[in-house]
Amino acid sequence: MIHHRSPLRRRLRQYGIGYAFVAVPVLAGVIFLLIPMITTLGWSFTRFNGLQPPQFVGIDNYARLFTHDRIFIKALWNTFRFTILGMLIGPTLGLLTALMLNQKVRFQAFYRTAYFLPVMTSLVVVATIWRMIYNKHGLLNLALGALGLEPIRWLSDPHWALFSIVIASVWQGFGFETVIFLAALQGIPATLYEAAALDGANVWQRFWHVTLPALRPVILFIYIIGIIGSFQVFDQVFVMTSGGPANSTITLVYYLYSKFMDLRLGYASAIAYVLFGILMVFSYLQWRFFTETD
Amino acid sequence: MPSKRISLLWALLIIFGLTLAACGGAATPTAAPAQPTATPATTSAAQPTEAPAQPKVEPTTITVWDYYGESSPITPIVDAFEAAHPDIKVQVESLDWDSTLEKLNVVMTGGTPPDVITLDMTWLPTFAPLGAFADLNQFAHGQLNGVPLEKAFSPGALKAMQYNDQVLAMLYDFDVYALYYRADIFEELGLDVPTTWDELTAVGKKLGDAGKGQYAVMPDTFHAAQFIYENGGSILNADNTAATFNQPAGVEAVSYYANLPKEGAGYVWSFEEGWEITPGLKDGRIAMFSDGPYYMGILKDAVPEMSGQWKVAVHPISKQPGSYLGGTGLVIPAKSEHPEAAWQFIEFALTKENQIGVFENAGAAPALLEALQSDAVNAPDPYFGGQRTLEVFLKAMDTAQPFPYVRAWNQIDETFTAAMEEILFGDADVKEALDNAAATIDDVLSSQ
Repeated sequence: MIHHRSPLRRRLRQYGIGYAFVAVPVLAGVIFLLIPMITTLGWSFTRFNGLQPPQFVGIDNYARLFTHDRIFIKALWNTFRFTILGMLIGPTLGLLTALMLNQKVRFQAFYRTAYFLPVMTSLVVVATIWRMIYNKHGLLNLALGALGLEPIRWLSDPHWALFSIVIASVWQGFGFETVIFLAALQGIPATLYEAAALDGANVWQRFWHVTLPALRPVILFIYIIGIIGSFQVFDQVFVMTSGGPANSTITLVYYLYSKFMDLRLGYASAIAYVLFGILMVFSYLQWRFFTETD
Repeated sequence: MPSKRISLLWALLIIFGLTLAACGGAATPTAAPAQPTATPATTSAAQPTEAPAQPKVEPTTITVWDYYGESSPITPIVDAFEAAHPDIKVQVESLDWDSTLEKLNVVMTGGTPPDVITLDMTWLPTFAPLGAFADLNQFAHGQLNGVPLEKAFSPGALKAMQYNDQVLAMLYDFDVYALYYRADIFEELGLDVPTTWDELTAVGKKLGDAGKGQYAVMPDTFHAAQFIYENGGSILNADNTAATFNQPAGVEAVSYYANLPKEGAGYVWSFEEGWEITPGLKDGRIAMFSDGPYYMGILKDAVPEMSGQWKVAVHPISKQPGSYLGGTGLVIPAKSEHPEAAWQFIEFALTKENQIGVFENAGAAPALLEALQSDAVNAPDPYFGGQRTLEVFLKAMDTAQPFPYVRAWNQIDETFTAAMEEILFGDADVKEALDNAAATIDDVLSSQ
């Protein structure tokens, strides 16, 4: 009888415990991720308030988002602006800091920790601190005043508010980039630099032809993580401006949240899927870039 | 081998159990329908004939969400209620204003709601059209503690409590706007309390020139709508199908309001200085502002050292008095499993004595007329220089009206506020900003 056992049963017998352990995260994923995702996709085609049964409306929600909803377009535009600004400043700052720290600085571990500390701090705490810094009589305006400049309404001037949130977010996040870059920099073999120096390359050429190519995978990693994170920006907006003034800091996830608070779950689901679609496209493009250049 | 098989069995069992637990949470809250039969009091009265060994009837436990925080008028009455109703236990969940709305959304869309909720009346329009709250009249039958509802509440309050032909909330404290002003500075500079907009501008300028603070200008609908109402305007038309705040009365009102800072009479309070204006009251940037009676409690809490400096007056007008009317309502979710017991708690919370407690504990204005007219509430208030402050708000209530009860109110509120922010913070053209907001709102209303 034993010899006639099906391969499946034999495998189960052999690796049963392994399967059982794997089953836990898989089941958790199905229950808490896959099922909600499919449900949300279904809801995005309905008008649904959570209390009464959903009504199927086809692609109405999506059509309305792109043709009728000025605030959504604004949220989309703000999210892009936040991402572009943040992704321009953050990684650049992170790389510069890492390059400086890589120069055999004294107390390197101390600086590394100091730069990384905000990353480990809760976003809500960071946002609250920055709210104080941006206060009309806060640190930043005191500094401006000392220089003889007019105070700026950092958070309530529609022209400044989004930028102010970007700065706070970059401050919070660039320590992560610094640490990653620093680790990568320390992994570049010194022999490469020696060879380049022998060939007569100056500092700039060494950076351009040795450091940067060696960092490419890390740069891509940082941009993938960073863009996905930036598109999901919420906490800072929630704490610092609530999307105001005049929707100048409203972002996709904050708008989604406000639709949930309005009990328009179908509409909120559609926003979630637009965000999902955008991130899919970005991730695909980055993945293509990644595989092609390697 | 057997031990391996047994551990596999265990692992599978645990996973199965976890799955069940995870799924079970979502499946349970299909509440049993309310049973409007005999009250629990009569069932427990029938009990004593049984043998003494028989365990006592499980008391009904009701959950009450209380957003008053530390100055709650709800928690102090729980013991007395339980003593009067031995068959009901009350569990109070102490929340704050913000998290209450968030929690409410979560439990309404998929969870077990509490039995009684302290609800900001401006949230009612979102939930009322969805049938989220029970019609209280099925328990009240037109009466509260034996008094007809029309006698228990003012006409404005009664209107605010109703949606279509249902009574969805019992007003617990009310909110209408009046003018708070620094009586000490007014006396020092020899200023009279403004009663018209022209006077408001003049007084604001004089205060500003003397460096004694100005009138607080804020972009939210509560404060801005005040001026629109006073100028004979409205937010929406009578049947709530189109925006009207961009008509001449509204444009004129908002222009006046937005001009106050430019004339040196008003101070634009922006949220980076804090969501509350109290820092501006403390350091003297603000000498006049409009707000509801609950702000008396906030003043006493936040700036106790200013006792004797503030007074309240009817808000200055251009054409007619007017204010939004809101406050806190007590509601019973339609899915509550103990609506009868919940109603008994609401009635208890709305007795004259317990309504006076709202004033004494939370510093807010009780909604029950009997309590409003009581001596305890109308005693001269030393914080306000011995003034009988509630008289002022009671007068304002005569002409106050709730914000329109439409499903889209939230969006209307947000859109209008955004337009006000464009005007106050972004220097946008008043007419243009209001027109744009009105177009958005009309579109939202037509798609409902």
